[in-house]
Amino acid sequence: MIARLHRLGRAFFGVLRRPMARAFDAAENPLNHLGAMTIFFLWIVLISGIWLLIFFRTSVSGAFESVEYLTREQWYLGGIMRSLHRYASDAAIITILLHIVKEFVFNRYRSNRWFTWVTGIPLVWMIFVLGITGYWLVWDELAQYVAITSAELMDSIPIFTDSMAGNFLSDDLLSNRFFTLMAFLHLIGLPIFLVFGIWLHVFRLNGPRINPARRLMAASLIAMLVLSALYPAISHEQAELAMTPQSLRLDWFYLHVYPLVQIWSPGWVWVFLVGISTVIVIAPWAPPQKKEQAALVTLDFCNGCERCVDDCPFGAVEMVPRTDGTNYTHQAGVDPDLCISCGICVGACPTATPFRSRGELLPGIDLPDRMASALREDIIAAGKQGESPHVIVFACRDDQQVQEIEKAGLSFVKVNCMGQLPPSYVDFTLSRGHADGVLLLGCLDGNCSYRYGAEWTEQRLARQRDPMLRRRVDMSRVAIGWQAPWSENSGVVQKYEAFLRSLQQ
Amino acid sequence: MKLVAEIFMYAVFAAVVGALSVWPSYELVDENHAIVSLVFSHAGERIGECRKFSQEELNKLPPNMRKPADCPRERHPVRIELRSGDRVLYEETLPPSGIWADGKASIYQRMMVSSGAHELFVGMNDSGEQSGFDYEKSVTLDLAPGRNLVIRFDAQTQGFLIR
Ligand code: HEM
Ligand code: SF4
Ligand code: SF4
Repeated sequence: MIARLHRLGRAFFGVLRRPMARAFDAAENPLNHLGAMTIFFLWIVLISGIWLLIFFRTSVSGAFESVEYLTREQWYLGGIMRSLHRYASDAAIITILLHIVKEFVFNRYRSNRWFTWVTGIPLVWMIFVLGITGYWLVWDELAQYVAITSAELMDSIPIFTDSMAGNFLSDDLLSNRFFTLMAFLHLIGLPIFLVFGIWLHVFRLNGPRINPARRLMAASLIAMLVLSALYPAISHEQAELAMTPQSLRLDWFYLHVYPLVQIWSPGWVWVFLVGISTVIVIAPWAPPQKKEQAALVTLDFCNGCERCVDDCPFGAVEMVPRTDGTNYTHQAGVDPDLCISCGICVGACPTATPFRSRGELLPGIDLPDRMASALREDIIAAGKQGESPHVIVFACRDDQQVQEIEKAGLSFVKVNCMGQLPPSYVDFTLSRGHADGVLLLGCLDGNCSYRYGAEWTEQRLARQRDPMLRRRVDMSRVAIGWQAPWSENSGVVQKYEAFLRSLQQ
Repeated sequence: MKLVAEIFMYAVFAAVVGALSVWPSYELVDENHAIVSLVFSHAGERIGECRKFSQEELNKLPPNMRKPADCPRERHPVRIELRSGDRVLYEETLPPSGIWADGKASIYQRMMVSSGAHELFVGMNDSGEQSGFDYEKSVTLDLAPGRNLVIRFDAQTQGFLIR
């Protein structure tokens, strides 16, 4: 059932892929940076919100007029800011939704990654409450509807005895009290919690990508500005509690559940919302999964160089004081509760070298389930048996392309993540004559299952990041075939054949 | 070509954002209808009179529990009826709140009625009688479309307020 949902979601991203790939390079494709895009839209919301705050009056009588002033008299600035504030909030809902779906369908929420997943959920609640209180503050007919319906929702929680909704049914009962509370929540309380919540959400990640590419930011801002200019956000009529508005222009991004309050009942709406949230919270453990073994440090070979700490995308390695009495001051230490067994630390470790002739091949840090020594044996087994030229494909286990390679019967070696492959293994494969060329397959920028595998690999091969590929390696024998993870039938076999032909010349 | 595709994608995105932020509009009240809301809480009368303890009984009680009378805390449910002419809009018997059934009964009910002239009658019974009302009020009024009429029970004047 869950596997089927994953497949369905991947197919959805597959449909989006083609038009998106036609319009964007990987670095600027918003689908590759959904978390960062959300943060960028929230920046727009914050900055435009500060402008609105300067002119906003936090009283039932003053609020509507001050928003009208911004929208009409100050349309060239205040009106644009108001529209930006609304549209960027709406855009954030789209990117959050896609962000959740993407992390889900590409399986980035299970095992030790639960923390980032679970801390995402309060963010969604906070953003919805922010949006709802925002519509409240305008104090127009829509605000009146939002106030009454929100109060009905609150009244259905059995801890409050006095009816709150009654306050919003006639003007003589209305007080500034609720209004001030909403203003406080929207302007101060929730924004502070949201910033803290986002910090917590990415807390466990090493090098969280919180800024999209500059061009992507600029273009999205322009798109929002154009929308705001062409189609400015406006209020409904001023709230009048003796009347009920007949028809409302709802913001469906934020208020989609409100009509359900009337169609079902407030109680069922709570059941629905809390139910969905609960399902999402337990998703990382449903069904429970056998955990892979965490990376293991072998002190005899660890020289305390810290590269594994720099490269682990999940902050699972830390340098700790040396315990074996050797001259080094520090050693690597893995927290098994954070490690997700990607092997990127192995790819970073200078002691993971297949050239070693004495003793067994045991690097300073290794994955017990996919050892560096086994990788070396796989290369030798996949190596040349006389035919020339011969190519060995290295493929990340999560990459769809590996299935096509397998089907075509080509020689390949699977790694947990491309970042697990130390550059010295590429050198080894070519210089020891196991192959005439290597083709590396993994996921395109921003889509790596383990976040930084593809990026670190590129940098190591380009000799920009330690450990670097040795200069003697002829780069025309190394090909990279990154691919978005949602593409089916990627044409990887043709890519392979083209590479083979280029080696023949 | 890429630039055109890129601009097109941003335009689609902006269009989706702009559209769903106001459209489709939501019909809250049918045309030519108004809303009547019954909103208040009211405590029904207590179920029985207080009964004075006799001296004998008092002696039997532990000293810290002694009090002059035994008063039942439980209250009667509150029965409410709202009619327009002969048509019953709402009729309900509401239990008192609280685990000892000693709290107020609460009502929050919103009803859609056709606009135009109405002869409204509202009655409430809080003394446990099977028929008749302890409080009642009738008004004749003309409800404009979209009007939000609120009926409350005012505890100070012990009467209904309709506005
Ligand atoms: C305000 C809303 C949110 C913002 C701003 C946000 C932002 C981010 C950012 C910046 C990252 C880091 C991306 C990277 O560097 O790889 C991230 C990762 C992630 N987020 Fe969110 N996020 C939000 C909501 C959510 C929600 C609601 C969920 C799920 C319920 C979620 C699940 C995840 C997961 C699973 C990861 C990846 C962790 C990993 O690769 O191990 N996020 N988010
Ligand atoms: S296997 Fe991956 S998560 Fe675990 S310590 Fe190494 S780099 Fe970090
Ligand atoms: S990269 Fe290897 S040698 Fe360097 S600290 Fe980590 S385990 Fe030790």
